Amino acid sequence: MSEPLSRIPGGMRYYFGREAQLRRRIEATAMTIFDGWSYEEITTPAVDYYSLFERGMGRFEAQRAFRFTDLDGRLLALRPDVTSAAARAAATLLAERARPLRLCYALPVFRQQPQSHAEWRRESTQMGCELIGANTRLADLEVLLIAVELLRSLRPAGGYAITLNDVGIFNGIAAGLALDAGRREEMRQLIEVRNAADLEDFLRPFTTAEERRDFSQLIQLSGKRETLTAARRVIFNQQSVAALARLEARWEIIESLGLDKDFEIDLGDVSRLDYYTGLTFKIYVNGVGVRVGSGGRYDGLTASFGKDEPAVGFVMDLDALTDMLGGSNSDYERAATSLDRPPAKAGDDPVAFLRAVLDQRAEGARVLLDTSS
Amino acid sequence: MADLTIAVAKGRLQNEALALLARAGAEVSAAALASRRLALDDESGRYRFIFVKPTDVPVYVEHGIADCGIVGRDVLLESSTDLLQPLTLNIARCRIVVAARHGASLRDLGMLRVATKYPRITAAHFGAGGRPVEIIELSGSVELAPVLGLADCIVDLVETGATLRENGLEEIEVIGESTARLVVNRASYQLKAAAVAALIAALVRAGITDGE
Repeated sequence: MSEPLSRIPGGMRYYFGREAQLRRRIEATAMTIFDGWSYEEITTPAVDYYSLFERGMGRFEAQRAFRFTDLDGRLLALRPDVTSAAARAAATLLAERARPLRLCYALPVFRQQPQSHAEWRRESTQMGCELIGANTRLADLEVLLIAVELLRSLRPAGGYAITLNDVGIFNGIAAGLALDAGRREEMRQLIEVRNAADLEDFLRPFTTAEERRDFSQLIQLSGKRETLTAARRVIFNQQSVAALARLEARWEIIESLGLDKDFEIDLGDVSRLDYYTGLTFKIYVNGVGVRVGSGGRYDGLTASFGKDEPAVGFVMDLDALTDMLGGSNSDYERAATSLDRPPAKAGDDPVAFLRAVLDQRAEGARVLLDTSS
Repeated sequence: MADLTIAVAKGRLQNEALALLARAGAEVSAAALASRRLALDDESGRYRFIFVKPTDVPVYVEHGIADCGIVGRDVLLESSTDLLQPLTLNIARCRIVVAARHGASLRDLGMLRVATKYPRITAAHFGAGGRPVEIIELSGSVELAPVLGLADCIVDLVETGATLRENGLEEIEVIGESTARLVVNRASYQLKAAAVAALIAALVRAGITDGE
């Protein structure tokens, strides 16, 4: 009748010893960097109303959360993201604080349903920051530079890449083609998997063969400034052109700072279009088969919580980073200090022994007791 | 050290995939193929090939163990994969069909029993038509099911249709095409962009990709 308690639920794990230590160090690095850019830590409720996440993430994403009922019958969830509650706080608890608000966090999030083969974890820790109340080029650059600093401090062997896009590019095209919701989603999916051939077919009723081919090729490539130049030869509607101009303005600054090697323009990145409203970016680290982070601008999120403000931010996955750095012989991982003397024995006088131990601790020395007698 | 690791689906697709890759400049020597090793380098050393079951191709590629994969569209449709699919390859041209015994009428049956290796594709197809079905999941030799009365019809992958005909079955309906596709890991697409682009270009140049 009794279930063996040795099993752990799917998607859950322990961390201990060296790996747990590494995890803490990465988290501490991130929080120190966030603090260095004047971000303040926020901790959001681990258990919150499901409707908060529906509103913040959209129904499709929110549905992956662990859900249960409160005593009064209302539907609760273990937080599947932090941004929703941060946005709600900005509109309520922190409504009177001066803008822009700078919030950062390192908190576990939970998903009952994984998204793909490679995403087996149902609990993972997101390290992120939100810049709320600023709509400028500088605000976008600030979060990008924080991401760069964080990645560089981890020194991943084999490098990393941050890919940039702007949702206005796709949205302008979809609007220009007057696509209904179903067709729009169809096109979005074709772009997302870089299926140029089917995308060309899809565009057949709308444009010339040459334009179809040019556009389809565009979404297959990532690159530097030349991607934007190529895009401007193919995309003419007002909304997309404005988005391209925005993206180029940010790229110019990145290039001038000598950081263009860290970045790529990826016009094929069109996930979460219902959430982001401008710049979007994804973070990839060599050695990790999946994305380790994502971010972007999401003006319009806080409006649904009562205070309409622009916002931009990103998250990175602490567990994915721990896996990556723990596996490789990266110089980030300090060798764990091992105690080379044996555990100290108490001898005949336990009181004197413990006094000595307490003295050692007061000096900050590491102690290891033999507690057997 | 190879630039890219490519997972190739074993079985009906493997030989066509290898011929295609050879035409694209990634040739595996006959000697290497004759060895029973499952991980082989091509002659140039630029590519490492691993040969795995079709349903495992997306797994290796999603985890980034393989940067790319060559696998039939049926596998991709059946499992929910988070992979890029930048190229359709003009090999292993198959279609996914509903098939039943010659002359069988599926119209009047209340609840249709469908035997298949593809429960998700099947559920989606009949669901779209509002038709309730009982899905019997089999691992292979699906054509036997209607012959022996286990199911009223099957949803299966068909190339020439010879196996269907030999078992007294006929195609009732085509659900979709299923040729082979090149799939690419999202992170590899960004971090090994040049190598991936070179592979895609080579496959396109070899002139055996789907297109006008």
